[in-house]
Amino acid sequence: MEKSSSENAIPPAAAPLKLFGSWASSYTHRVQLALRLKGLEFDYVEEDLGNKSAELLRHNPVHKKVPVLVHGGRALPESDIILQYLDDAWPETRQLLPADAFDRALARFWCHFADDKLGPAVGAVFASTGEDQGAAVRQVHDNLALLEAELRDGAFRGRRFFGGDEVGLLDIVLGCGSYWLAVFEDVTGVRLVDADAFPRFHAWLRDFEALDEVRETIPAVDRLLEYARGLRHMLLGLAGAAAAPSSDAGPTAAAAPAAAAADIAVDI
Amino acid sequence: MAGAKKGLVLLDFWVSPFGQRCRIALAEKGIPYEYSEQELLGAKSDLLLRSNPVHKKIPVLLHDGRPVCESLVILNYLEEAFPDASPKLLPADDAYARAQARFWAAYSDKVYEVGTRLWKLKGEPQAQARAEIVQVLRNLDGELGERSFFGGEAFGFVDVALVPFVPWLPSYERYGEFSVEGIAPRLAAWARRCAERDSVAKSFHPPEKVDEFINLLKKTYGIE
Repeated sequence: MEKSSSENAIPPAAAPLKLFGSWASSYTHRVQLALRLKGLEFDYVEEDLGNKSAELLRHNPVHKKVPVLVHGGRALPESDIILQYLDDAWPETRQLLPADAFDRALARFWCHFADDKLGPAVGAVFASTGEDQGAAVRQVHDNLALLEAELRDGAFRGRRFFGGDEVGLLDIVLGCGSYWLAVFEDVTGVRLVDADAFPRFHAWLRDFEALDEVRETIPAVDRLLEYARGLRHMLLGLAGAAAAPSSDAGPTAAAAPAAAAADIAVDI
Repeated sequence: MAGAKKGLVLLDFWVSPFGQRCRIALAEKGIPYEYSEQELLGAKSDLLLRSNPVHKKIPVLLHDGRPVCESLVILNYLEEAFPDASPKLLPADDAYARAQARFWAAYSDKVYEVGTRLWKLKGEPQAQARAEIVQVLRNLDGELGERSFFGGEAFGFVDVALVPFVPWLPSYERYGEFSVEGIAPRLAAWARRCAERDSVAKSFHPPEKVDEFINLLKKTYGIE
């Protein structure tokens, strides 16, 4: 991020917004959805993740990733930081985080869970086959069970959305990625969200996907399917190459598809 | 919560840098709390397992019995639940500065993440970890620049998030065969400056103790 010096004027809320993203990146979708929910206009720049623009790299030198939101010339990387920034910079717009400090802590905790646990677990299902995949599926189910329990009789019981009557930060983070679950189920032939096992999560996801702003943001399912099929083909092809005997090939070669996947951002 | 203990209880582990983040923030803000040392290498307490069923990890801050988990979530919680406690660790009215603070505080986790790989791994993966941690420290050095603290003139959110990793650096230097003074001199000076603060000094353990703990972990994981 560019260093802000005290001499720089804080950009007025009305200063232009420019979002660098990738059409298949769920992290990009989070920001697009948040901007739409807040009624904030923005310009969008589609990045070719295989050939990142100089401008993107200048705005995010540390991680070199999308999404990056540029506001009045100042860059914000990392979707969860961008979403909190939108609340802070536009306090008059509908707030994504709840007002109460403890509820905010819960939202942040479960957002990290989505990014650190659930997302990678789903990615592991997608990038594997056989026994490895079986283990990854069990991991996803364990994670979904935790969320189901919170919806059933924990922190979020009785709520239509994690944010309450309306979607909030956690809905956006979990939701913009959960649409991939159905896509992955189709491509891998593996059941991830069983409506009988996870009725409340299933109902929440259905309600989330029905929202106008969500339908405007998430790409058409046939595009997602085509993309996912191609990606899985590539990931499994690379994993096959990594399995060839060589003492060094293992960890670094396996890291390559994971890194490619993270970069292409097939993530929850 | 009926019958819940009133006030703040911090479930923690003596050498945990994530726990230290919370201790330092509480001390800086002068917020009273009860420290509760947890057994981690043996059987975890019922209280810990009930308070953080998802990860079963410390730190956990119990506020009138309600658990807040994860160190950076706890730091944000202290800012928001105790609005009259000073100093504020996050800049109050500059949304961009707040975003920068959150970014670099989250980034500071990488010091521990990569540092752990440095002592756990051997050969090529260890070399990769070494290259990464040098880059991380250089990035932090660059972000600090000529300022006294990441918070500017005042010790702030990023300083609290990063400073607990300072006693681990001598171990990382040894495993990685580099020197922080050599690759990130401004960061090294910042570390010395922070160590003079009461809140920091009181929570720190000497690097030798940290190194001993790393050896204990290596034995536990069966690493040579």
